[in-house]
Amino acid sequence: MHVTVISPEAATFDGPADSVIAPAFDGQVGILPRHAPFMTLLGEGALVVRTEGGERRFHVRGGFLQVVDDTVRVVTEYVEGGSDEV
Amino acid sequence: MAKGQQLKARIRSVRNTRKITRTMELVATSKLKRAQDRVRCARPYAEALAAVIGDLVTPELVERFPLLQQPKPPAQGGPERTAVIMLTSNRGLAGGFNSNLIKMTLARVGELEKAGYTVDVHALGKKGIGYLKYIGRPLATQRVDIGDKPAPHHAAEVMDGLVDAFVAGELAGVDLVFAKFNNPMSTPPTIMHILPVVPPERPAGGTQPDFILRPSADEIAERLLPLYVRNQLFRGLVETVASEHGARRTAMKSATDNAGEIIQYLQRTFNKQRQAQITQEIAEIVGGAASLG
Repeated sequence: MHVTVISPEAATFDGPADSVIAPAFDGQVGILPRHAPFMTLLGEGALVVRTEGGERRFHVRGGFLQVVDDTVRVVTEYVEGGSDEV
Repeated sequence: MAKGQQLKARIRSVRNTRKITRTMELVATSKLKRAQDRVRCARPYAEALAAVIGDLVTPELVERFPLLQQPKPPAQGGPERTAVIMLTSNRGLAGGFNSNLIKMTLARVGELEKAGYTVDVHALGKKGIGYLKYIGRPLATQRVDIGDKPAPHHAAEVMDGLVDAFVAGELAGVDLVFAKFNNPMSTPPTIMHILPVVPPERPAGGTQPDFILRPSADEIAERLLPLYVRNQLFRGLVETVASEHGARRTAMKSATDNAGEIIQYLQRTFNKQRQAQITQEIAEIVGGAASLG
């Protein structure tokens, strides 16, 4: 599935991924490929995007996450990090 | 020879001016590049927000959110005040950039006043503030500290008070006058209606997927609408900065070209004059020798 992480100042991540773990407003939510259309508000915390090459971690605050047509859009007010971790 | 000296001094002065304008052109070009990148980065966010709001908004939702409702005109008991936010740059020497923005603002203010509103002008940027003070128009708020790198929190600071006033029914609307950045050569002043929020149209023919919404649509809209409103202003700020540098580059480029033309003309005049003088001196010598012989 395709994942994009977008903040007002930059598109931080844009590419294919195997799974996403996001901090929703009421706890963590995991998204795997072929998830149903879904929309939720985000709280604050760690956003993990697993790709073939490893794992990317971000710290996000506010905004929302939308899944539609096997595309995940994380639109957040504030994002930091993005370091590769295996 | 006095004339020749004067010409030389003028050539020197125009050369110096050309140096300055050329430097400003180069500076604007490099700033433009960075500002353009920021416009490009801000676009996906704005598009994503707009798309989601378009997906969420239904006629039932509109009834519950004052931000989406058009208040009644003042004749029917609606709010009499309305706000116009004017973005201009802090620095001049950008051709007609600022005066175009100011003209458009005043036109919009005139229109609203004709419709019976009292208009609060919120000015951002030194040039606009200076002009409105000069013509004696009071400003509701003004700030000059945003500069080249507008951040989302700048937009929030300006917008939040206006959103509150709108929700409380004190304001009939908020318009933004900014310079739309089509490309560096085309930066037309543009009016954006920020409040009430006009939900973006869904792309025609696209069916809306049946979303699982967590929490409810209402709660999502409550959080996202203010974000959307702030982002509209943020986008305006970012585009205006890019437009400013584009306009300045164009203005300074033509100033540099004009300076080159003037130098050429002055140099020709100078050469011609020198030649004329030499010719005259030779004629005098020949004439003198002839009279002796």
